Amino acid sequence: MLAAPRPRLSSSRLLAVSLSVVAGGLLWGQQQPIEFPHDKHVAAGVDCIDCHSGADVRSAATIPSINKCMLCHERLANEGPGVKLLIEFWNRKREVPWQRVYRFERAANVKFRHAPHIRAKIECSACHGNVAAMTVAQKAVEHTMGTCVSCHRQTQASDDCAVCHF
Amino acid sequence: MSEQLVPVSEIQSTDDNVPRWGMAIDLDRCTGCEACVVACHVENNIPVATEDEAAMGRSSHWIRIDRYYEGTFPDIKVKYRPVLCQQCDDAPCEPVCPVYATYQNAEGLNVQVYNRCVGTRYCANNCPYQVRVFNWFDPEWPEPLELQLNPDVSVRPGGVMEKCTFCVQRIQRGKLDAQAEDRKVGDGDIQPACVQGCPAEAMAFGDLTDPESKVSQWAGVGRSTQLLGELGTKPKVFYLEKSD
Ligand code: HEC
Ligand code: HEC
Ligand code: HEC
Ligand code: HEC
Ligand code: HEC
Repeated sequence: MLAAPRPRLSSSRLLAVSLSVVAGGLLWGQQQPIEFPHDKHVAAGVDCIDCHSGADVRSAATIPSINKCMLCHERLANEGPGVKLLIEFWNRKREVPWQRVYRFERAANVKFRHAPHIRAKIECSACHGNVAAMTVAQKAVEHTMGTCVSCHRQTQASDDCAVCHF
Repeated sequence: MSEQLVPVSEIQSTDDNVPRWGMAIDLDRCTGCEACVVACHVENNIPVATEDEAAMGRSSHWIRIDRYYEGTFPDIKVKYRPVLCQQCDDAPCEPVCPVYATYQNAEGLNVQVYNRCVGTRYCANNCPYQVRVFNWFDPEWPEPLELQLNPDVSVRPGGVMEKCTFCVQRIQRGKLDAQAEDRKVGDGDIQPACVQGCPAEAMAFGDLTDPESKVSQWAGVGRSTQLLGELGTKPKVFYLEKSD
């Protein structure tokens, strides 16, 4: 890389950044603060888009806020260990610090949008595997450029670089 | 300045349904206030150089205001000209890239693919408008300014070339919103940040193949010129020269 460090970047700042990168790496996609069972909720009849309410209208599918969990768990199924933890966060007025499972590295310079895919009637499972059966969300599909472009070519969606890289 | 060499009426798309994006800037209205420059920085996650870096010529802007003085003080006339990527139809930057990181897309945008770029800087050397900027450093924002980064635009690393995209993220958003509402993209639905930010409304953006669009109307008037058009670059930015 041609980039030279900027003179104004202090070494203590660098150290702090690298420590937080290490800490982030340990948590990355490994341990969730609560094991959220997708299988049980989907079996209970909750739709993906009820929780991930951005998926059909926005770029990000979005992870639901704790308020949404408590609509149900305030009253029902609140004896289990997971929901007990959830209620602890709720009582402290905190969101659950969920760890991301799917995420492009910043350096990939890729921007993904859910909405056009959901409008084109592509199933969540095409890109995320069978989440409905997962006891905890796992990365089931690798999102490489090949994944995106091969489907785009099959479905006559755009394969112009500017559609994904900006 | 040069006369207009490619009349707007001659700009064509490959397909009737494909727009060809362009801009017209009325220099009579431009006051040189630089609101466009600020809007562009904010929208596109462009870092702000320190004083030292700027002194070394390391500041990066995707749009800048060129300033011309005519006459001698106190009888001077000042002329401002916002200069951004001219999105040339015959872009000198494109054929010199050895890795095909820059190309012309179907809508006439001169696209820069950052992760394809290896930083040879040939493109910037070949650009007569000097609107391409090289990232000499990894960008940095003093805390907490990183929280204002626009999530719709990537943050480019050091070592790559970047430039004005006509706010391609807004173009896409505009097209997808229209698709969701089952309508066509209307004239003026899509505005790059500079156009939106201009308090004097000196800039118009839209489809050059639509003769009714504001940009085509502006680009078609007698004062309309293209910057260094005589080089044959076929720019898609039109300047309405100052009338005296
Ligand atoms: C065409 C592929 C594709 C489809 C279809 C898809 N996703 Fe995604 N999803 C992705 C990609 C790629 C990411 C990572 C995006 C990023 O990092 O910017 C992602 C991220 C997510 C995230 C976490 C980040 C966010 O966007 O909030 C959730 C939650 C999610 N998807 C849920 C869903 C649901 C629910 C559906 C079905 C309604 C769905 N996805 C359909 C590709 C897809
Ligand atoms: C529509 C109502 C509803 C919503 C909303 C809901 N849940 Fe549940 N949840 C249930 C039901 C019902 C069960 C019990 C299912 C079973 O036991 O088969 C359950 C079970 C669980 C469990 C497993 C039991 C345990 O305590 O270990 C966890 C954890 C959980 N939910 C967390 C959450 C979280 C976190 C959210 C918010 C993102 C949430 N739930 C939102 C209805 C809901
Ligand atoms: C009751 C609410 C709820 C429902 C219903 C739900 N999810 Fe989730 N989903 C969550 C929560 C909370 C997380 C974050 C915790 C995690 O990643 O385990 C999550 C995480 C995810 C992720 C990983 C996101 C990332 O990148 O971090 C994907 C993918 C996803 N869900 C897809 C789906 C799909 C597909 C469905 C429908 C089959 C679905 N979800 C139904 C609440 C829900
Ligand atoms: C399973 C097939 C499939 C996969 C996988 C897929 N896409 Fe798509 N994509 C589509 C379809 C179909 C459309 C809708 C085209 C339309 O509406 O014209 C679309 C549309 C898009 C659009 C909007 C296009 C526009 O014209 O503005 C973007 C951006 C996009 N996809 C990015 C991605 C990225 C990034 C990935 C990989 C993470 C990906 N897609 C993976 C099928 C797919
Ligand atoms: C449909 C979306 C899409 C399109 C169109 C697309 N890319 Fe990509 N590209 C991606 C994704 C997603 C990644 C990130 C993959 C990863 O993180 O592993 C990527 C990564 C890359 C990389 C990094 C190397 C790699 O393989 O990880 C380069 C270089 C690249 N793209 C160049 C291009 C060029 C040049 C074009 C146009 C000819 C293009 N891309 C078109 C989605 C796309």
